[in-house]
Amino acid sequence: MSSALEAHPGAASASEAVPTVKNRKLDQWICWWSLPIFYNLFGLIFVYLGKLMPPPRPGLTTDEIVAFIQKNAASMQAAWVLLTLSLGFASLSSGLIIVQMKRMTTSPVLAYAYMAALAVAALPGCLLCTTMFSLAAFRPDRDREIIALLYDLGLLSFVGSLGCFVTQYMVFAIAIFLDKRGIFPKWLGYMSIWGAVTELVATPIWIFRSGPYAWNGLISFWLGTLIFVVWEFCLIVSLFRAIKQQPLDEPGNHA
Amino acid sequence: MPSSSGTSRRLPGDADIWVFVVGDMLIFSAYFAAYLFTGRMGSRELFLRSEQHLSQTSGLCNTLILLTSSLFIALCVHAARLGNLRLASRFLELGGACGVGFLLVKVFEWHSKLASGLTISTNAFFMHYYVMTGVHVAHILIGLTFLMVVRRELGGAQAPRMELVEAGGIYWHMVDFLWFMIFSLLYLMR
Amino acid sequence: MNITDQRICLWLVPGFGAVLAFAFLLFPGFFPPLSPAMSADEVARFYRDNVGPLRASMIVFNFCEVMFIPFFMVIVVQMQRMKNPSRAFAYSYLSAAASGATMFALADIAWLVAAFRPERSPQLIMLLNDLAWMAFITPVGFIIAQNFCLALAVYMDAQPKPVFPRWVGHFNIATALLMAPAAFALVHLNGPLAWDGILSFWVRIGTYVLYVAVMFLVVRSAINRQALEQRVAA
Repeated sequence: MSSALEAHPGAASASEAVPTVKNRKLDQWICWWSLPIFYNLFGLIFVYLGKLMPPPRPGLTTDEIVAFIQKNAASMQAAWVLLTLSLGFASLSSGLIIVQMKRMTTSPVLAYAYMAALAVAALPGCLLCTTMFSLAAFRPDRDREIIALLYDLGLLSFVGSLGCFVTQYMVFAIAIFLDKRGIFPKWLGYMSIWGAVTELVATPIWIFRSGPYAWNGLISFWLGTLIFVVWEFCLIVSLFRAIKQQPLDEPGNHA
Repeated sequence: MPSSSGTSRRLPGDADIWVFVVGDMLIFSAYFAAYLFTGRMGSRELFLRSEQHLSQTSGLCNTLILLTSSLFIALCVHAARLGNLRLASRFLELGGACGVGFLLVKVFEWHSKLASGLTISTNAFFMHYYVMTGVHVAHILIGLTFLMVVRRELGGAQAPRMELVEAGGIYWHMVDFLWFMIFSLLYLMR
Repeated sequence: MNITDQRICLWLVPGFGAVLAFAFLLFPGFFPPLSPAMSADEVARFYRDNVGPLRASMIVFNFCEVMFIPFFMVIVVQMQRMKNPSRAFAYSYLSAAASGATMFALADIAWLVAAFRPERSPQLIMLLNDLAWMAFITPVGFIIAQNFCLALAVYMDAQPKPVFPRWVGHFNIATALLMAPAAFALVHLNGPLAWDGILSFWVRIGTYVLYVAVMFLVVRSAINRQALEQRVAA
């Protein structure tokens, strides 16, 4: 077993078998970098190419919906291809967060719940939307009523997939509050509660076609997105700090 | 330890809870702004007419219940500071009971509105009414959870952490304050 | 191992279970369950006439549906305490739980989209209605896989005081077998196997509710025993 490994020059005893990777947190740093890269890509995909953030109004007529799709078909298709290729990388941030959550004094339950909740979220919360819009852009001569249906299904699921994210925010907050080691700061836990409440405030999008609580509304969309962006930014910074402060000789580091 | 229990004055709770409370109030003020903007500046008539349907009695009841609960929670924190944990626990339970009372009055109020056919999609006023009172109820539920955690802390084997007890109190007062804003905006502005 | 977080995740079940039960009763299409044999116009009329409770109940479902995942993760953690040859079953269970919840999430989205524009063409509303029912009733495969993994893990738990008693294994297999027929709702428009039928609706849902209730009690006592063992060992 130890023939595959060589002793690290700085090891306390020369017979201590340690992985050859010099930077013992390299895997975590790689995962960490996926976050800013992925979220910038996400912004490019949904804002500039996909034209879905901010989303067009729920109140559009069928003709206006079809016109919107046709006008943006090319850039949308580029967006969804790009997303299809890159969405998998969101799993890297998931893995990193689990590694850090497992350092907490809590049991692995909350880390697993976080992972599972996000695994659920990927489909109804992201891929369903882009698949629906891909279908809408795929055949320009498709029945107009069907295109309008794809439009509704896409945007409603994108803005309105609530449960998975509520669970994600909630278990994350609970873990932070119970953790005696303080891997993440307490205020991040409080911010996660905001995140959960924004999901609650997004519930009216399933009812209203206009106003601040529609899927493009000032509160349900804009405020919700703002809070999400702030939370994500704080998460990225907190993860950076957590990795940096992680002692090198911690057991899990080269398990 | 960031603070000492000596004679130095310090901010109650810790920085984290203040981040939470201030941020939460900013977020809530967005809801108020949306209400004022779409409502009173837009469809004044509609909003004034719709407000008539709200029961000022229920609103006043809720306000008094929450004010009383805040008083109990303040007494709880005070007692905890003095080391009288049994009294603090009792005050906390009373405060929490008021919180539950608030929820019951609210559910009764909603039920009577729904029974009269006034739903969330009736008009813009009721949209704001249900969303704001709904989000506030969520805050009450979070607050009650917080109070349960504080209760556990007070009844624990070791000395309770004062930052936690104070944080619970601060959050509860914020929830009370938010209700007061909702009451003023939705029930009283005629 | 921390007990508090396990207990919190455990008690999410009765808490959110009560809320989900309320939403289940509120949904206008469950008592009696909508028939797959309804015509498109009948379906469209149902959506037009019941918009309010439909939306309210399904929004609650949407909000609360993933809240059972932490409970299943407690089972994963308890499975890791079993003296199995490896942790394979525990991780398989985790994977199956996550995948199963995904299909379930689709169901209320489809119902809600159908209720969003009741003036939509009846054929399209019926399409969404079909999607919702199929996503709600039929994806029993992951639950079956979960239950088999847990049953086998229980049988292979080679220690004098196993984490779960042996009958839990039998119970899991029985539940899986009782729920399996619901898969055939993909095929039938009438009869006991259709999504409104005795087997696919009443037996499937009743069995699952009973399963969650029983497993709640089982997991609760396992956690209590774990807490006791840790206190004694400390």
